[in-house]
Amino acid sequence: MNMQEKNESSNNFEQCIKCTICTAYCPVVPVNPIFPGPKQAGPDGERLRLKNAYFFDEALKYCMNCKRCDVACPSGVKISDIIQSARIDYRTHGPKLRDVMLASTDFMGTMARPFAPIVNAVTGAKPAKVVLDKVMAIDHRRIFPKYSGQSFEGWFRRKAAPLQAQFTNQISYFHGCYVNYNYPQLGKDFVTVMNALGFGVNLLDHEKCCGVAMISSGMPEQAKKHAIHNVSVLQKSVDKKHTVVTTSSTCTLTMRDEYPDLLKVDNSSVREDIVLFSKFIYNLVDSGKVKLVFKNNFKAKIAYHVPCHMEKLGWGIFSAGLMKMIPGVEFSLLDSNCCGIAGTYGFKKENYEASQAIGKPLFEQINRISPDFVASDCETCKWQIEMSTKFKVKHPVSILAEALDLEATAAANK
Amino acid sequence: MKFDTIIIGGGLSGLVCGISLQKGGRKCAIVSAGQNALNFSSGSFGFLSRLQDGTEVTEPLKAIPSLNEEHPYSKIGVEKVSRYAKNVKSFFSECGISLYGDDTKNSYMITPTGNVKNTWMAMDEICLFPSKDFKVGDKALIVNMQGYLDFNTQFIASSLENKGTACRIESVKLDSMERLRKNPSEMRAVNIARVMDNEQERTKFISTVKSLLADEDVIILPAVFGLKDKDDISKIKASLGIKTLFVGTMPPSIPGVRAQMLLKSAFEEAGGSFLIGDEAKNVALSDGRVNAIYTENLGNVALEADNFVLATGSFFSKGLVATPNRIYEPLFDLDVDFDEDRNNWYDPKFFNKQNYMGYGVITDSSLKAVKGGKSVDNLYVVGSVLSGMNSLYEYCGSGVSIISAMFVADSILGR
Amino acid sequence: MINNEFDVIIVGGGITGAGTARDCALRGLKVLLIERHDIATGATGRNHGLLHSGARYAVTDKDSASECIKENMILKKIARHCVDDTSGFFITLPEDDLDYQAKFAKACQESGINAEIVDPKEAIRQEPSINPSIIGAVRVPDGSVDPFRLCLSNIVDAKAHGATVLLYSEVIDFIKESDTIKGVKVLDHVSGQTTGYYAPLTVNAAGIWGHHIAELAGVTIGMFPAKGALLIFAHRVNSIVINRCRKPANADILVPGDTVCVIGTTSTHVPFEECDDMHVTPDEVDLLMKEGAKLAPVLASTRILRAYAGVRPLVSADNDPSGRNISRGIVLLDHEKRDGLKGFISITGGKLMTYRLMGEWAADLVCKKLGIDKKCVTAVTPLPGSETGSLEEVSKKFWTNPTTAQKATVGRLGDQASKVSFSDLYDHSLVCECEEVSAGEVNRAIDKLDVHNLVDLRRRTRVGMGTCQGELCACRSAGLLSKAHNCTDKAKEDLSKFMNERWKGMYPIAWGETLRESAYTQWVYSGVFGMDEK
Repeated sequence: MNMQEKNESSNNFEQCIKCTICTAYCPVVPVNPIFPGPKQAGPDGERLRLKNAYFFDEALKYCMNCKRCDVACPSGVKISDIIQSARIDYRTHGPKLRDVMLASTDFMGTMARPFAPIVNAVTGAKPAKVVLDKVMAIDHRRIFPKYSGQSFEGWFRRKAAPLQAQFTNQISYFHGCYVNYNYPQLGKDFVTVMNALGFGVNLLDHEKCCGVAMISSGMPEQAKKHAIHNVSVLQKSVDKKHTVVTTSSTCTLTMRDEYPDLLKVDNSSVREDIVLFSKFIYNLVDSGKVKLVFKNNFKAKIAYHVPCHMEKLGWGIFSAGLMKMIPGVEFSLLDSNCCGIAGTYGFKKENYEASQAIGKPLFEQINRISPDFVASDCETCKWQIEMSTKFKVKHPVSILAEALDLEATAAANK
Repeated sequence: MKFDTIIIGGGLSGLVCGISLQKGGRKCAIVSAGQNALNFSSGSFGFLSRLQDGTEVTEPLKAIPSLNEEHPYSKIGVEKVSRYAKNVKSFFSECGISLYGDDTKNSYMITPTGNVKNTWMAMDEICLFPSKDFKVGDKALIVNMQGYLDFNTQFIASSLENKGTACRIESVKLDSMERLRKNPSEMRAVNIARVMDNEQERTKFISTVKSLLADEDVIILPAVFGLKDKDDISKIKASLGIKTLFVGTMPPSIPGVRAQMLLKSAFEEAGGSFLIGDEAKNVALSDGRVNAIYTENLGNVALEADNFVLATGSFFSKGLVATPNRIYEPLFDLDVDFDEDRNNWYDPKFFNKQNYMGYGVITDSSLKAVKGGKSVDNLYVVGSVLSGMNSLYEYCGSGVSIISAMFVADSILGR
Repeated sequence: MINNEFDVIIVGGGITGAGTARDCALRGLKVLLIERHDIATGATGRNHGLLHSGARYAVTDKDSASECIKENMILKKIARHCVDDTSGFFITLPEDDLDYQAKFAKACQESGINAEIVDPKEAIRQEPSINPSIIGAVRVPDGSVDPFRLCLSNIVDAKAHGATVLLYSEVIDFIKESDTIKGVKVLDHVSGQTTGYYAPLTVNAAGIWGHHIAELAGVTIGMFPAKGALLIFAHRVNSIVINRCRKPANADILVPGDTVCVIGTTSTHVPFEECDDMHVTPDEVDLLMKEGAKLAPVLASTRILRAYAGVRPLVSADNDPSGRNISRGIVLLDHEKRDGLKGFISITGGKLMTYRLMGEWAADLVCKKLGIDKKCVTAVTPLPGSETGSLEEVSKKFWTNPTTAQKATVGRLGDQASKVSFSDLYDHSLVCECEEVSAGEVNRAIDKLDVHNLVDLRRRTRVGMGTCQGELCACRSAGLLSKAHNCTDKAKEDLSKFMNERWKGMYPIAWGETLRESAYTQWVYSGVFGMDEK
């Protein structure tokens, strides 16, 4: 019998030795005095909540789920999971309408698309934003991402799908809501790059929103439905031996880790086949399976911001590695600092100030470095940095699409 | 992914080794599963404060021959240890950390509980005294932030009074602290340090301190300043105009956190890759050599290198693991020096020497790891995971971490 | 200045002495309670914390069992804030005799204990940590009780009714006049002074040390010190008490209590000399772990927080000097009748949870001897802090939006929580993060609850009882104590003692996370604080 060989507990909450390093590295603690900090909200709170559910603190909603506490913890405690699970298990009321709206990206995206120009004009207009602020508590200072008139999937099916069968290697692409409803160009860049490397791209058999916003907005049942659906859809791709490649760091983390850890949805048969594009491509290059040929005249001073979830995944090294391969690039790695938006978190009025305060050191560093543009793998980081600095943010896939000599690359990978 | 050297563990020893190797032109990666013990340091580095039999040490380099042959310092050899010891100040200075002290003689510092600790070098704002019987001044004003329980003014005052300094204790109420206290949460050094990083808040605090000054000749403040910018310390001293001493608080330690951040930056700026929040899970060994390691985050992507350095630390960092029956090294399952009888691991008196603190991974004379009695040719061991020393009792943890790291870096560089 | 004359002197500040003091005080007697250390330092502070339903004794000792269930129900009413009405299961493992279950259930019913035979699957559904291989389960009205809180409440109430309580005061001799005890000579360990106190009646409620007190008085009580070792696990693994349905044996009860759970216990005869310094042996640890894992398999991989041991004050049957014939019931000795010594009675034996009845018997005898006609009211008078209402209801009564620390204070003090100041920044500072104890609560305990050192503080506030075992809170508390008592040297010495006391309970089980925690704590106290320097 395994007698005390190993001590285990749910999310390792008992492994905490109270060093409080997590609180030292939590971005929320210095800016929001009401948030008790990861140690108290997480492992400390868990012991008390087991005693009496009344010990559940509403202030746990201020946790951004950035997972920096997990990254800092020397004991392997899954602090963010403890906090998010507590929010799910001990919640006393349902989500506000505002939270439902912000979290239902598929629904909002589908509804908004046909009226995109109007919606964009409205969400960009001051009077409407004031109304959103007062009525729905969505902060009026927050800039909304614009909706695209045509969805990525729509474009793909018409323009790109017929051309994919010619490639020997095939992968599936989980594009996520942002690419689909707001910025299809990113998806187009992805297809361009993958095709140049000799990979045909396939859509999944109807993907749904990964559900990350639903988890944090008090809609775990809906998130679970999405999770179960997505896992089955991913399974179909895996059965065909098509790796599922992604471009959004958060969608990737959600599907790989949050599905089993928070939503208790078993994804063990598909998890290792969900890969962020930069890890996918970097490893292909590193093992000599593909070649990248760059344009001679591509020059750029790039500052790379590693999104929090990317830091948790530990895959920043791949995106950085890819960008460093480009000869004309002057690359600098921005200090590890949360941008503050944390997805839909920063839209909520009660979090706006904290959001901006958290990101301030990052914005200041970007302004000091004054790059040609900032690189980041996360769409919400992009919104935040573009709103809070005067610099544009490009996704590493788009940077590659720009920097590659596509013809030469395609030829080299035949 | 291929590197020249992969270092497992991103603490003091791992970082010093990595920086040394990068300076020597090698491409390194450090894999670090969470933050390290530097965050809790006292703000000073101990080289050797006690011999293995408990005798106090005043000249550490001269004391090395008295150590037994299993001690890491003995394995490295007193000549090399002395050479590296002389380089420590400049090494850290290049990383942005100023160290004070004499590399041949131990000094003394005031601890957060007002005790006097025999140590070697102190970081930045922490003050050192050449002898135990120091007097900080005739009259001291000790100032704390109201509501901050981790700076023990009573204990510090009592200690200084025993040394002939009259003390007055004041506490300053700050609006920003009130804000921090809306919901009782932990008021730790880092929370306060972040507030003090803000120029406005800091200026307010310091001017209040100044206004409290009467006829004292020395001010004592908690070491909660300069987390982001070390220059804040000198600005404070200049603004106060009289002798200002900073005494450490209960952990986390601001000088320690700062040192950790500066060392990490130095490593990355020198071209190293720091894989944070990642844990080494599996290894590939063959023919007495390590071929690759695999980590939690990188999954099946192998991390390959010519050389590997184990800098995983002691129990705190899980470099060593204890079950009811044994103590083992979890990654490579290297040979560990421990007593089979668990009763011998502990002394019932809390403050006495604890044997378990002295257990560690067995190495050969080149600090190469030993597995099943044989040396692993390309696996070196540095820092507190080493056997042959009791890092707490002898207070040699930092010294061994730094010196063994420099020694191993040189071995890998072929010097 | 206290008058040196009282109606009754009670020796022993454990639950028996506290309960007797309260009962006497409520009947209007002028009471003096003397305790050589702090409250609840004997068996009271070192037991399981189990609020017996009495089921355990039903088969072998129906009288004991009926006594238990009656007291169980009384305590659930008068000591709400000390009691957790968890209910309990008596499970039958495959290796046990299932026939015992029917006998057991019947005996319970006959003793007035509501025992319900439940389908094993249902039992597991109600308490998921139970060993999945059980073949039988009986549900009984067990509960858990916090002995520190209970003892403190009795003392607070006794004081509120005029009793004088002297802690750190030791009875070193009796004041005798031929065959009558007139009073006691007491050494105050804090001041070093010896004082005489007088009363027509002295009650020996000193637990296992009652043997020594009796000797001082010149009489003999045959006592049998039986050591029991227990383990505390780091979190509350079960929410219902789990017992083994068989003849009572070692390590067969797992009790949830506050934020932890406790497995116990063993029984070894030890010499009297060992009673003041108990250590848990590796064999005892082994036994407790193995047997515990049979009740709840998850214990095999649950972090152990600490190990401790206490001594049961068992009384040998009067005519058996060998000590083998042990009386498990309450023992009330009228030394006038038994030994010809007037002015002296002893109340001992019994269990934590029959303390109130013991107090009643003792107070009844006291009143009879003093010719006072007053009846016992302790069964119907709620203890201070015992309030109607859930944790939420009581918290919201005092504060609109209670913070976690405020909720925790209510959890500990019941309605007395309103006496804790939360008015300023300083009050809100957290001293103990694991157990959420604020500086306001600590300062009040130091001020009003007779705290002399950190261990006393721990008993009253749970400071240092969480998973960190005093890592940080000890130092912070020492700072507060030093300020309150204006003595730094003593506070520092006390801090050292406190860390040693914590370590004593940790090193028998120091592996895994507990060793990591210990290593970290020792690094902080010796390495960073330098407190190991001579």
